[in-house]
Amino acid sequence: MGTFRAFRHMVKDSLDYITHGSKTYHIWMIFLTVIMLIGMYCYSIQLDEGLSVTGMTDRVSWGLYISNFTFLVGVAAAAVMLVMPTYVLKDIDFKQAVLIGEGLAVAALVMCLAFVVADMGGPSVLWHMIPGIGVFNFPNSMLAWDVIVLNGYLFINITIPLYILFRHYQGKEAQSKIYIPGSIISVLWAVAIHLVTAFLYQGLQARPFWNNALLGPRFLASAFAAGPALIILVLAAIRKFSEFKIEDKTISKIAMIVTVAAQINLIMLISELFKEFYAPTHHSESAYYLFFGLEGKSALLPWIWTSIPLNILATVLLTFHKLRNNFKVLYFCCFILFVAIWIEKGFGLIVPGFIPGPYGKIAEYTPTWIEIWVTLGIWAMGAFVFTMLAKTSIGIELGKLRYKKKKVLESETA
Amino acid sequence: MLRIVFSLVILCGMFSCKHKEGEYHSLKEKIVEEGKHYQDPGISSEAYMGDIKTVEITEGVRTFLIPERKSQIKSYACTECHSKSVEQLQKESWEQKDLWEHKAHWDIKVNHANENAMNCATCHNNNDMDNLHSLTGNTIDFNQSYQLCAQCHSAQFEDWKGGAHGKNIGGWAKPRAAMTCVNCHNPHEPQIASKWPARFNTEKVKERK
Amino acid sequence: MGDKKKWFQLDLGLNKKQVVAGSCGCGKTSGGCGSHAPEPPKNEHTISAEEFDTAVEQELMEETMVGQTRKDGFQQVFDVKMDRRTAFRKLTASLLVGAGAVHTSCSVTAGEEAKEKAQIDWEEQFKGNYKLMTQEEKQATVDRLVRSYQLRKKENIKMSATDASKDVLFGYAFNISKCQGYMDCVSACVEENNQDRNSQMQYIRIHEMKDGEGFKFNEADDNYYHEVPAEGHFYMGTQCFHCDNPPCVNVCPVQATWREEDGLVVVDYDWCIGCRYCMAACPYDGRRFNWSKPEVPEDEINKNQHYLGNRLRKKGVMEKCTFCVQRSRAGKDPACVEACPTGARIFGNLLDPDSTIRWVLENKQVFRLKEDLGTEPKFWYFMD
Repeated sequence: MGTFRAFRHMVKDSLDYITHGSKTYHIWMIFLTVIMLIGMYCYSIQLDEGLSVTGMTDRVSWGLYISNFTFLVGVAAAAVMLVMPTYVLKDIDFKQAVLIGEGLAVAALVMCLAFVVADMGGPSVLWHMIPGIGVFNFPNSMLAWDVIVLNGYLFINITIPLYILFRHYQGKEAQSKIYIPGSIISVLWAVAIHLVTAFLYQGLQARPFWNNALLGPRFLASAFAAGPALIILVLAAIRKFSEFKIEDKTISKIAMIVTVAAQINLIMLISELFKEFYAPTHHSESAYYLFFGLEGKSALLPWIWTSIPLNILATVLLTFHKLRNNFKVLYFCCFILFVAIWIEKGFGLIVPGFIPGPYGKIAEYTPTWIEIWVTLGIWAMGAFVFTMLAKTSIGIELGKLRYKKKKVLESETA
Repeated sequence: MLRIVFSLVILCGMFSCKHKEGEYHSLKEKIVEEGKHYQDPGISSEAYMGDIKTVEITEGVRTFLIPERKSQIKSYACTECHSKSVEQLQKESWEQKDLWEHKAHWDIKVNHANENAMNCATCHNNNDMDNLHSLTGNTIDFNQSYQLCAQCHSAQFEDWKGGAHGKNIGGWAKPRAAMTCVNCHNPHEPQIASKWPARFNTEKVKERK
Repeated sequence: MGDKKKWFQLDLGLNKKQVVAGSCGCGKTSGGCGSHAPEPPKNEHTISAEEFDTAVEQELMEETMVGQTRKDGFQQVFDVKMDRRTAFRKLTASLLVGAGAVHTSCSVTAGEEAKEKAQIDWEEQFKGNYKLMTQEEKQATVDRLVRSYQLRKKENIKMSATDASKDVLFGYAFNISKCQGYMDCVSACVEENNQDRNSQMQYIRIHEMKDGEGFKFNEADDNYYHEVPAEGHFYMGTQCFHCDNPPCVNVCPVQATWREEDGLVVVDYDWCIGCRYCMAACPYDGRRFNWSKPEVPEDEINKNQHYLGNRLRKKGVMEKCTFCVQRSRAGKDPACVEACPTGARIFGNLLDPDSTIRWVLENKQVFRLKEDLGTEPKFWYFMD
């Protein structure tokens, strides 16, 4: 009973804690709320009129929503790059970052699910997907797998930090016996969510651009570059705006991960480009469209030619220790790498899959403003969720949020 | 721990084999195998044939229905008018305006192959206007006019018998009823004229731009 | 009185109190006849029609919230008795005969209609997947849809739930040398299948290709705008090929699309969640999505419908060619086959050795599109 009471207190304290803060904090939250509200308004228009308010058509039937979903799965999976060293390899330098990383994973997963829901034609019948009351096409449909692994990963990433924080909140040490198995599962699980998401596309014989064996590994490599890059940026922000101590060593170690992943990603990119352009078949047309445009249609050119140089620049800069250890350069690199991979793994991957269509027809896709605002709204929601999670966990870690001594005793006797 | 996870994954993979199609290597094989024990499913198209009167014909191994023709010809029997030679009739009908305009078919022009190959007498028998005749002079009933066409268009005739040429009447189910040649082709002018399509998709016209 | 009712009534637990309205000369009970005032179900004191309506709404809400969630949702999971639905079916049948009378009803009846509408909407929202329904459940949902249309539009439609017959496997052949690009098939298809007129949704595409260049779909014009046949061109139609190993079916996360026993690949429009994964998986551009609410002018609606075929769709769901399941299962040819003026389209039973489709497969040089993908389409092309 005492545990429940402690938990209730933790929720209450956290709520209290996240509603108070500095002026900057309030402005930030209000800003996010406004964007979320605009996004919700746009989504209500979409609900009312149907998906015709988006730029998607029968020819390009997935767009900005699914692109962001794909990218964010990668971000979510990246939390594992911090979990594994900390919990499994007992590398203490990551300890400070790991809770932040898992909070980021939770926020990314929430965004993923929101993007999937936003993309659905019939959100009111989504219960058809709930195992037990709906009908699940398991194991045939990769989307069914994806729903399972995403929700499972969300569950793991909520419970582990929750357990640790809850223990710390009560002023006790978290028992490694309990959370280590969870961490090991989450490590496997993180690889699974990203591979399964890649298989979602990879398994379609109808779309040669996706139907290639490198897609899954490349997803992983790009995810382990973009995700930790984002974590570095977030840690930098936390360092600046809170009293939470994050050592330089931690950031340097994460930067190392980013570098290696970015290098592997670049090698795979070269391999892919070689295959598409050295001996082009009609299956290479999507790649041609992406990089050079087809029949005068070239909407994606500015994007991909932003992404590729940024990607290369960031990877090259990160490769040199001197540059990487200069935090200003590091943050800049992380930022451009994040943007580059967002473009490349987002609509640089999804949209060309549909172009040219099954019969070689080229119809381009441009997102509408409604779509863009819904997307921004969901990103704002992610940021909102993450800010709340991070603030609470920082509060607990710093000891600002503690269960009262007296009650701890009560809970122990009970 | 790991082992359990992996064996679970492998198990899932084993169960994920597709539905029963695995029994056959190809669709063709499946059709042949399942067709071996074919029993008539008891679906009939008869109700959809409308008021068309049909006659049953047997050509080779195939027996099917074709529309009866004589009752569809405006003024069969032909001999009701064609009691005299064509030239005589032409002269008379010039004098009776009514007959010219409403009954006779002087507008018919033969545009079928060329003049060396075809004229009216290739098919019509001036001495027996109620029937047609083959190239060798055998009588062919108006209801079996396809026999006339089959003399030259033997490939099309084969296709038609099998069902690759022409159109079904009613539906796919039994009894099989098919349009005969003259239901689609005007025997005097068998070429089908070009025309504008039945519809356009203006949304796609926009998309094309 | 129960069995004589002309429309369905919610069991609000008030039936015992209800006074039998008594029959009049025209043989109708409770309302609709007009020769005597009908007795509203709970009219013990005088209330205005509006008050009554709101009361009914409330009761309905309570009923649906409390009772229905357990009783009517997810039938296939929690085996539920079908009494209510059976009653429904009988009622609908009698309504088909005497529908007119209901619509002349007074405000009290309107309340009952609203009630019934809400009941139908509720049951429709929480019904199961058609593929897994029992025969009775299928009939029940069809009856509900018919009734719902009647309540909304005051018109009757005919909807069937005919299942696949044994020993039938539908197949299709398309004669490239015959097609002249007249597009009568497209026109007939749109009319037959109640496709959205606003977005001009079409299942069939006719590709105009240049002679002597082979099948270059990317250079073909699937939207020509001139007299046909154009000199030096040939025409090729595509639509859903009803693959025997359909990739779209594999990927659907909720089994809202499947291959029927007679080979038709169909969609349960009410089960589809609109994720469009099937659309991405289809190598043949065979699927269409309702990006907005589909609109068909009332007088153009084809009222001869099938649950899996041309019944009216809603926004946000997939649809596709079903080889006109409402026609083909009854022995008719699909609308495109019937409409084609050139005889380029051949349809039939692949299992019947005497069928014309079998003759074509055995005697003509047939091929299929993208055969290397292993999808096994049941749609063959051939030339004379």
